Amino acid sequence: MSLNAFITKETLDGSDDGPLSGKTVAVKDNISTEGLRTTCGSAMLEDYVPPYDATVVELLKDAGATIVGKANMDEFGMGTTTETSAFGPTKNPVDESRVPGGSSGGSAAAVAAGEADLALGTDTGGSIRCPAAFCGVVGIKPTYGLVSRYGLVAYANSLEQIGPIAPTVEDAAALLDVIAGPDDRDGTTRDAGADSNYAAAADGDVEGLTIGVPTEFVEGADEGVEEAFWAALDELEAQGAEYREVSMPSVEKAVAAYYVIAMSEASSNLARFDGVRYGKSGGYDGNWNEAFARAREEGFGSEVKRRILLGTYALSAGYHDKYYAKAQDARAWVKQDFDEAFEDVDVVASPTMPVPPFELGESLDDPLQMYLADANTVPVNLANLPAISVPAGETDGLPVGLQLIGPKFGEETIVRAASAVEN
Amino acid sequence: MTAQALEQRELAVVIGLEVHVQLETATKIFCSCSTEPAEDEEPNTRVCPVCLGLPGALPVLNEAAVESAVKIGKALNADIAEDTRFHRKNYYYPDLPKNFQITQYDAPICADGTLEVSVEGTRRDIGITRAHLEEDPGSLQHKGGSIDTADYTLVNYNRAGTPLVEIVTEPDFRSPQETRAFLAKLEEVLEYLGVFDATRDGSLRIDANISLVPADEVDDDGSISDEALEAANRTEVKNISSHKGAEKALAYEVTRQKNAIKRGRAVEQETRHWDESRGITVSMRSKEEEKDYRYFREADLPPLQVAHWKEEIPIPELPDARRERFHTEYGIDEESASKLTSTKEVADFFEDVAAEFDADLAATWVADNLLGELNYRDMHITDVSDRLDEFTRLVELVDADEVTTKNAEEIVLREMLDEGKDPDTIVDEEGLGKADDDEIGGFVQEAIDENPDAVEDYHNGEGGALNFLVGQVMQKSKGSADPGTVNQLLRERLDE
Ligand SMILES: [Zn+2]
Repeated sequence: MSLNAFITKETLDGSDDGPLSGKTVAVKDNISTEGLRTTCGSAMLEDYVPPYDATVVELLKDAGATIVGKANMDEFGMGTTTETSAFGPTKNPVDESRVPGGSSGGSAAAVAAGEADLALGTDTGGSIRCPAAFCGVVGIKPTYGLVSRYGLVAYANSLEQIGPIAPTVEDAAALLDVIAGPDDRDGTTRDAGADSNYAAAADGDVEGLTIGVPTEFVEGADEGVEEAFWAALDELEAQGAEYREVSMPSVEKAVAAYYVIAMSEASSNLARFDGVRYGKSGGYDGNWNEAFARAREEGFGSEVKRRILLGTYALSAGYHDKYYAKAQDARAWVKQDFDEAFEDVDVVASPTMPVPPFELGESLDDPLQMYLADANTVPVNLANLPAISVPAGETDGLPVGLQLIGPKFGEETIVRAASAVEN
Repeated sequence: MTAQALEQRELAVVIGLEVHVQLETATKIFCSCSTEPAEDEEPNTRVCPVCLGLPGALPVLNEAAVESAVKIGKALNADIAEDTRFHRKNYYYPDLPKNFQITQYDAPICADGTLEVSVEGTRRDIGITRAHLEEDPGSLQHKGGSIDTADYTLVNYNRAGTPLVEIVTEPDFRSPQETRAFLAKLEEVLEYLGVFDATRDGSLRIDANISLVPADEVDDDGSISDEALEAANRTEVKNISSHKGAEKALAYEVTRQKNAIKRGRAVEQETRHWDESRGITVSMRSKEEEKDYRYFREADLPPLQVAHWKEEIPIPELPDARRERFHTEYGIDEESASKLTSTKEVADFFEDVAAEFDADLAATWVADNLLGELNYRDMHITDVSDRLDEFTRLVELVDADEVTTKNAEEIVLREMLDEGKDPDTIVDEEGLGKADDDEIGGFVQEAIDENPDAVEDYHNGEGGALNFLVGQVMQKSKGSADPGTVNQLLRERLDE
């Protein structure tokens, strides 16, 4: 049985020569590919074929990569298990009774199973790092503004970034080198990364590196996950790094703040799917509001509807200050906590996910449980920081990921530290 | 206060405007599509992933639109924001490709300005609350009826993404006439700034808020307390597209509201639609009461720091200042100065002519002759801007007495406009070169020789005889002789 890692399997050849020539790449299906349907894992866009390439897809082709298909994902990125996809769940290649994590589950599963050498995922609240951790591969969520989002179908545009998934830190860093850098078509990109050499930073040299461990990130983690985490830190210490506990009280509010902001933005970003210009049509009966409603009722799955409704509510007059504005305050507080932590330490470490991969179907009925699993990843998106998840042992035969968070545009530091974990 | 009480009192009109101005930038506000409709363009052809709101497309702000907004802010004496940012205004409408409009909310680029208008000699400052940038939606075509009755509606996104500046005034207008004067003045200023093309269809769109308040609530300086404004029910009139339309729509609303109050009925707080062809406003009943647009920050567009642009971006001399200067510098009377500053192009043209000739002569030729003939032909100064040299040559011919004023006005200028010829060619072809005195002397002698009766009458003291002879000479010279000179030469010859 296949893992169902791809929604669409089709090969797009890149240029003849480049740093990725000979490499196959799976592209998450919320990244636009000219002439190749881009569904976002949604029935809404089942037949949507973009007339243009995302900037990262152009960069992949220029670098000589061969795109081998569009990877499965939670619908519009809304999920932690890849089970909300309208195209069925993806199985975890490590244990096919388990989820691969999400929302970039197809990308991570394809890499872990060798169905692609590399993959692009997107990370709004952990969607690259979670599946990388669950599938035992490496995933990088870049600093907000390092990689162009042009062509990435937005879920929560102030939080998300496109990033690499690969079997090794060096491979992931090499893919980041290809996609990083400013883009005229995305006004939020910065000059950083234009002449990057992240792959060269994967030298395993952690001599003198200080690692901060926020107690808030470790408490409450599954016992086996915690053991693997401390073992990895001891290993880094043995290679010359030192670690100390730091306190980040703001992260207690991070999950709540993240979901309010992400859902609010989603309610607006997904408004364009009304069946008028593309996507599932609502037909021609009744007035246009009725046609819009039909398209959205039929096109969206229940998790997407839940988030749009909650986001609409959070932005509404009378509730805006209570929810959206408060969430923005919490976001500023999280940023501040990280700023303070980085005055004393070079990187911040935590288990990527507090739990091992769920059983298929386990979390679908309990969205809140699923949201809480993002506790360690969402603070990074709120603070616009870079983070990497690197395999760090196992618990009961299931992969555990170590998350290393760096300061803004500190991708080299986290790549270096993560490469030492592989030693 | 009850309607009964209100009907006993004198009422004052309170109007505020929201003016949407399409900016004349080369490209749209967030993409590189042209803003200029191509001739006979097909619907949905002047579009791209960005202005169609395709999934994944991102807006990138057009610097030229920001520059235009800064210029407008300067011209309106407004503050240019230290930090300006964009928000999303969320609502579902088929002309909005993303079902939200990118606009500005709590940090508009310009705030707190004024524009002076004068109506029948009374000058008033109209307060400008704010002016902000936003994107224009596409346009809808209702087939087979109005919005409520149409069989179906077609959408054209060619217009979507055209940059708009929305200028919001204080409720400072006290009559429909004032709104018209304001809009004319505003348009003049915008054209001077070169940010606006009045000839483009739909380039100026106006919404008006109007209410009637007891006249004794209005202070001597025209200000009204917030309480009085709150107490009055206000209607919003939409779909106004011209100065004249604004005056008519608001005059209609004043009458309608006064009548309602006179009959003891309350004015309903509602949105009304100006139906230009019927000359009435119509209630937009089915419309929702108070919309909740769920404004929030547009994260795809970073905040902008543009306050320093105010110093860096120059604006031209504005119409009022230029009018005043024409009066003082060239000694031109107010009426001509007004004509000569009606558009920046006319004023520039005049100053180019005035640089070479006496200002009075230049003013007469530009303000009276040229503008008059252009107007008669439904032409504009811009149609002849590149023929400044030819026009200057015409004035030169008159100034040097080589063509008579009459011929220059009635023949040369008209043929220049109608046939596109240059003045020297016309003078040659029509033989209009002013005859010299020798030539006229010859015609005078001929006239005397050919009309012995008239000569005799002259000597007998008959006044009409001289005029007859002058006419004969003029005919021979085909009008190229100066009548004064002919008169003088005839007398000399006859009195010898
Ligand atoms: Zn466009």
